[in-house]
Amino acid sequence: MSEVQTVETMITIKIDGIEYRVKEGEYILNAARANDIFIPAICYLTRCSPTLACRICLVEADGKQVYACNAKVKEGMEVTIDTPAILEERRAIMEVYDVNHPLQCGVCDKSGECELQNYTLELAVDSQSYMIPDTKRETANWSSVLHYDAGLCIVCERCTTICKDMIGDAAITTVKRGGAALDKGYKETMPKDAYSMWNKLQKSVIAPSNGTGETNCSDCGECIAVCPVGALASRDFVYSSNAWDLTRVPAVAAHSSGGEQIYYEIKPTSIEDRSPKIYRVTNEWAYVSLDGSARFAYDFENRDVYKNEVAFNAAVEAFQKAKTIRFNSMITNEEALMLQTLKEKMGIKLYNPEVRAFQKFLKYYQAASGNSLWTTDTDKIMKKSDFVISVGVALRNDSPAMKYAFNNVQKLNKGAGLYFHPVGDTLIPTFGKNVEIFEHQVGHEEAVLYFVLDFFADKEKLPNEVKTYIDSFKKTRTKVIIDKIEIEVKELVRNEESGEEEEIIKKVTEEVEKEITVTHNGLIELLGADTSDFETTFEKMMKKKESFSMLLGEDLYYHHNTENIAKLIALIEKTCDIDVVITPPKSNALGVALICDLDDEQSGYTVGYNENADFILSALGTGDLDIPALNQQEGTLCNIGKRVLPTNAALPYEGYELNDIVKVLIGGPELTVDWTSKLPKEKGFKAIAFDALPNTFSNAGVDNRGYRLETHTIDVALPEVEKFDEDATLQGQIAYRCNPARQFNDFTYKCHEIFEPFGLYASEEKAKTLGERVEVIFENGSIVLDVIADAKITGDIVKIPDFIAEKDVYTLFGDTARYQTVTLRKV
Amino acid sequence: METTTLVENLPHVTSLGVIIKAIIILAIISALAGFGTYIERKVLAFMQRRLGPMHVGPYGLLQIAADGIKLFTKEDIIPQNANKLIFMVAPIITAATAFIALSSVPVFPDFTIPSWMPIIGDTFVPAIASDLNVGILFVLGMMAAGLYGPLLAGMSQANKWGIIGAARTAVQFLSYEVVTGLSILAPIMLVGSLSFVDFNQYQSGGIGDWIVWKQPVAFILFLIAGFAETNRTPFDLLEHEAEIVSGYATEYSGMRWGMFFIGEYANMITISIIAAVVFLGGYNEASAIGWLTIMLKVAFFFFLMLWVRASWPHIRPDQLMWLCWKVLMPIAVVNILITAIAIMV
Amino acid sequence: MSLEQFKNRNVGTQRYTMLDLGKDPQTPWCKVRQVIRRTFKGDLLVGLWVTMREMFNALFRGNMATLKYPYEKLPISPRYRAIHDMLRLLESGHYRCIGCGLCEKICISNCITMDTRYDENQRKEVSEYTINFGRCIFCGYCAEVCPELAIVHGARYENASEQRASFSLFEDMLTPIDKLNLQKEYPGFGAVSPDADENIKQTPLAY
Repeated sequence: MSEVQTVETMITIKIDGIEYRVKEGEYILNAARANDIFIPAICYLTRCSPTLACRICLVEADGKQVYACNAKVKEGMEVTIDTPAILEERRAIMEVYDVNHPLQCGVCDKSGECELQNYTLELAVDSQSYMIPDTKRETANWSSVLHYDAGLCIVCERCTTICKDMIGDAAITTVKRGGAALDKGYKETMPKDAYSMWNKLQKSVIAPSNGTGETNCSDCGECIAVCPVGALASRDFVYSSNAWDLTRVPAVAAHSSGGEQIYYEIKPTSIEDRSPKIYRVTNEWAYVSLDGSARFAYDFENRDVYKNEVAFNAAVEAFQKAKTIRFNSMITNEEALMLQTLKEKMGIKLYNPEVRAFQKFLKYYQAASGNSLWTTDTDKIMKKSDFVISVGVALRNDSPAMKYAFNNVQKLNKGAGLYFHPVGDTLIPTFGKNVEIFEHQVGHEEAVLYFVLDFFADKEKLPNEVKTYIDSFKKTRTKVIIDKIEIEVKELVRNEESGEEEEIIKKVTEEVEKEITVTHNGLIELLGADTSDFETTFEKMMKKKESFSMLLGEDLYYHHNTENIAKLIALIEKTCDIDVVITPPKSNALGVALICDLDDEQSGYTVGYNENADFILSALGTGDLDIPALNQQEGTLCNIGKRVLPTNAALPYEGYELNDIVKVLIGGPELTVDWTSKLPKEKGFKAIAFDALPNTFSNAGVDNRGYRLETHTIDVALPEVEKFDEDATLQGQIAYRCNPARQFNDFTYKCHEIFEPFGLYASEEKAKTLGERVEVIFENGSIVLDVIADAKITGDIVKIPDFIAEKDVYTLFGDTARYQTVTLRKV
Repeated sequence: METTTLVENLPHVTSLGVIIKAIIILAIISALAGFGTYIERKVLAFMQRRLGPMHVGPYGLLQIAADGIKLFTKEDIIPQNANKLIFMVAPIITAATAFIALSSVPVFPDFTIPSWMPIIGDTFVPAIASDLNVGILFVLGMMAAGLYGPLLAGMSQANKWGIIGAARTAVQFLSYEVVTGLSILAPIMLVGSLSFVDFNQYQSGGIGDWIVWKQPVAFILFLIAGFAETNRTPFDLLEHEAEIVSGYATEYSGMRWGMFFIGEYANMITISIIAAVVFLGGYNEASAIGWLTIMLKVAFFFFLMLWVRASWPHIRPDQLMWLCWKVLMPIAVVNILITAIAIMV
Repeated sequence: MSLEQFKNRNVGTQRYTMLDLGKDPQTPWCKVRQVIRRTFKGDLLVGLWVTMREMFNALFRGNMATLKYPYEKLPISPRYRAIHDMLRLLESGHYRCIGCGLCEKICISNCITMDTRYDENQRKEVSEYTINFGRCIFCGYCAEVCPELAIVHGARYENASEQRASFSLFEDMLTPIDKLNLQKEYPGFGAVSPDADENIKQTPLAY
C-alpha cells in the first residue's frame, strides 16, 4: 500500500468580503488562521476540541453569531469578524477577564508574552465597568514540575483541554472555587456571552482531577506551554527569568523518537557565572506537543570541556586499533555517517543493540511490503484517522508521539482504539469509551496480527491458506443457555366473597434450557477476551469509521519471530485498509538504522560512543574523551514522522568532536554539518546543506522543518506468512525492558528536572508482594533494584528500565528480547 | 675714593667671614626660593579668589617642605639620547650663576659673630660677600652667564621642545641683556661708580634722593628687562607651557629641575635687590630700619612679579623681540643721551 | 534647502555684541602710536587693578571661591544622576525592588543584571543585583522605567574605587536598614510627577 495522500476537498468562503479557499469541514477559526487572518481566540487549541470557555472568537457567519472555534465552514459562507455587537461582546469579555486579575505583571513569569495582556490591548480595554469581590486563590505545586498560581488563572481551560485531548492524562480539571455570586443586575446590563462567561469563570478554578492536590500524571508540562497567562509554570523556572532575557535556539527534542520541535531558551547562568545555561524548553505548542523528556530533560550538556590533546591522541589511537565501535541512538545523522564511513574505510564493526533489532525489523518489513518506510505518521493519524490499533508498544513509555496520536484520535476524531499489550495499563482505557484493551500473553504478537487480519482484512484479497488458518480458530459450538420464558398458567381460585371458584390467568416465568449455536473465535480468547462480548463491542466501535491506522512498537522488533511479524504487517497493509507507523525505539534510531550498516556482535577492542567500552567517548563527561552532547552540537535527526530535522547548538562546546577524530583518521570536511549533504540518497536523504534546511511551521500547522525522507514503493507479491505457535509464550515471572515515561537514556537521567528513578516498576499489588528491594536474576546475570509501585500498571509483569548504559540491561535481556523470564528475589 | 674710606672704617673682612656669608646666602636664599614658591602660589590663588595650598601644615606652610621632600626623593631621570654630562651640568650652571651673582649684592646687614662661639667667634660677616668695585657689572655679567644653563639644558636633552626652549633662551637673554645694560648705564653715569655701596651712599639723603625720580625711564626699562632676564610672565617664553610643554626643562625632573627653579627664584631676588639698591634708595647704613626698608623694597619687587603674572598675558616671541629692539633699546639709548647731556650741562 | 542655507549656523536670535577694537595698525608708525597709546592709557594698570581688587575681595570680603572639597560639598541637583540607590519601603523596611527586570531590559549599555528566584513567601526575590559601573552611562532610563520607584539615581558621585566591583551590588546600593529613617523620597529622576494623582483613572473596585 502506498503512502496515503490526504486529498481534501477545498471550498470557498468569504471572510470580510474576501474570498478564500479553505478545507471542507474545517472550523472557521482554523480556516482563517490557515489563510493568515486574525480572529481573536483565547481558549481554542488547534489540535484539540473546542472548549467554548472564552467566547471571544465570536464572529458573524451568514448573518448569525457563531463561535469561530466550533462552527464549521460551508461552501459560500460569508463571515464577518467584527460587527459592532460582536466588538461590544468582546470588549465586555476582556473587561471581565481583567476583573480582579492581579496587577503583578512586573513579576509574572509570562513577562509580557501574555495573551491576556495582548487581548486587553488589542481590544483597547482602557476602563473597567464590572466588579466583584475577589476570592483568595492559593498557589499550589501539583507535581515535581508543575506550579499553579490560581490567582493568575483565567480558567480558559486550555490546560485541561490539552491534557485530555492531546496528552491523554486528563490529570487536571475545573473545580468550584466558591467565588461570590454575580450581581443580578449584570444579567440585564451586560452583553449575553460576557455574562455567561463571567458566571462560569467566577465559579471555577483548575485543580488536579484526582482530588488529591497531586496530578500524578506523566509530567509532560504541556499545560505550562499552553497557559496564556502566568498561572502555570515549571517549578524550576518560577521567577527565575524574564522571557525577554532568554534567547531561543530552535532545536529538536533529543530523547524520544518523536523529534518534536523545541526551543532551548538560554541566558547566562548567574551574575558570577556568565556562561550560558538553558533555563527552559518551549515549543510551538499550537502545532506540536512535547513529552516530559523533551520539555524537562534539557540540561544534559557536557560542561567545562576543553581541548584535551592527550585524550584526543589517545582517542585517535583507540580508533586505529579498534575492531568495534559501540554506540546508541543518541547520535546525529552526520556522526552516524562518520561512523559508517569509518566502517567502510577501516573495517571497524558497528555495534548498536538499541537500533539493531529495529533495523532488522525495518529490513524485513521493506522486503515483505515493498515500502521503504512505514506508510503514515503520527501527525497524519491525528489529523485523519478514526481507528487506531496499537501493537507491541508500551504507549505510555515508549513513544509519547504514539500515545498522543492514539489519544487524540479518540478525543477529536470520535475514534476507536485497540490496544494490544502484555502489560496492563489503567490509563489507556480512559482515552475514550471505544478503547478496548487486550492483555495478551507474551509471545502472542503474531496472534494479534492474525486477529487484525481476521477483523479488518478484505477476505477476497487474503491468500487461501491464511483464510483457512484464521478460520481454523473459529468453531461453531452449540451452547446451552438458560432461557427465561413466560408461561400463562390457569388457576382456579375460590372467590371468598362469592364462594365461587374463578379461573384466573397468571403469568409465570419459567427457566428453560435451550441450545443455540455460537461462532467461537479462538483468536479472541487466545488474546484474553470474551468472544461474544467483544463482537458486540467491535460492532459499536466500527460505526462510521473510515480511516484505520496501526501503531507498531519495539516489542515486535525483539520478537522471536520478527520476520514473520514483518510479513504479517505487510499482509495487513495489503489486505486491510490500514496504514502503519513503526516507532523507532529512541532518539535518532531511524537515522542510525538507515545510515549505518550495523553488526550483530561486538568483538575485539571496542570504542564506545556514549556506551561502555574499552575506550569511551562520552558526552556525559565520564569517558576518556569528551564529546558534545546533543544540545551542544548542530546536526540532523530523523524522527517518527520520517523527517530529517535540523537541530542547533544551544550551549557552547570547547572540546573535540567526533569529526575532529575522523579528520585525523581518514580525512573529512571541516565541520560536522558539512556531512549533512552527504547523507545517503539511496536511503531517502537529500543533498541539502545543513544551513539551507528550513525550520518552521506554517500558520495552518504544516510541519516544514527539514525535509521528508524520500520513500518509494516497489510491487512485491503478497508475503507468505507462517503460522504461529500458540504455546510459544513466556511463562512464570516476566520482566519487561521498559523505561519510565520521561526517562530514555543517561542524558535524561542526568537532568535535574527528571525525577523518575532507576528501579523495578510494578503494579501496586505486585509491589506489595515484592517488598522494597529485589534482585532480578536473569539467565546471564542479575541486577538489584528498588521496587517502585506504579498505579497505572496492572498485572504481574514487572518493568525494568534500560536508561542507564552502565547497568547494561540490554545484555541482561539477551540483546534480542524485550521480555525475559526472571526470578525475583527479595533483598 | 669714597669706597675705600668706607671699607677702612669697617672691621677687617676675613676669608672665614666671607665663607660664612656665602653659606648664609646659600642657605637663606635657597630657603627663600622655596618660600617664594609658596608665596607665589598663595598670591596667585588669592588674586584668582582661591585659597592656594592649605592642607600641609597651617595654611599650607609646610607645602614647601613637602615639595622639597618630593624634589629630593624623586627619581633622577636622564633621557636615553641626551648628552648626559651636559644634561647633568646645566642645572648646576643656572643655580651656581644665580648664587654667584648674589655674592656681590648686599644681602642682610653685616654683623660680628659673638666671641663666645668657638672657632668662628669674633668673625666679622660683611653685608656683601665680596664687595667688588664693579659690583653691578659683575652681577649683570653673572646673570648673563646664567643663560648657559637653560641653553645647554635645552640643547642636551634630545627633545624638540627643549631645542625650541634653548633657542628662545639665547634670543631672549641676549636681547634683553642689552636693555638691562643700557637702562642701568644712566644711573651709573649719575653715580659715577659700579659699586652698590656707592649707589647706596648716593641715595642716602632720603626718599628725595632716590634715583628713580631722576631716572624714571631707566627704572621702567630696567624692570621690563628684569622680567625678561628672570624669565617671568609675561616674558616666560623659555618654558611657555602652552606652546612648548616646558621648554628647556621638559625632560628634567626631581632635584635637577629643582635647581632651575631655585636659580630662577634666586635671580628674581637678585633683580629685586638691584632694583631696590640702584633705584629705590638702597639701605640706610648701620640702622636696623634701613635694612627693614630694603627688605620691604625687595619684597615689593618680588610681589610685583607675582602680581604681574596674575594679571597679564604672555606675549609672542616676535612681539618680545619687537619690543626689545624697536622700542626699549631706542628709548634706553635716548635716555642715556639725555642723561649725558644733562650731566654735561 | 540650498547648501548656503544649510551651512548657515546662525539660526535663532542673534545676540552678539561687537567689541570696538579699532583698526589694526597698518604702518610702523601706527604701531608705535598704538604702543604709546596703550602704555599711557593705563590698560596694563587696569589689569593689575583687577587682580588686586579680587585679592582684596577674596581675603577681606569673604569672596573666596574655593570649596574645601572633601570637607565641604556643594549641594547637587535632585536631577543629578550619580551612583544608583535602591530604596526600601518606608513602612515595612523591605526593599522595593520586585525583580521585574525592566531596568535590565531598558538599559542601553547592558550593564544591569539580576538573578531572581522564587522565595519562601511565594514572592519573586532578587537574589542578586548588579550594575556594571564600568559600562553605565548614567542615562537614568532604569530609574525612569522602574514601576516601584525602587531604583533611583542617588547623590554619590564620588565613585573612584580600588576595584570595579565596588558599589555595584545590591547591598551596596540598598538603603541600610538602620538608616531607613534617613531615606528621602526622591524628587528627581524617575520620580512620579507631582500631579500623578490627577492622572490616575479609578477602577470601580469598591471592595
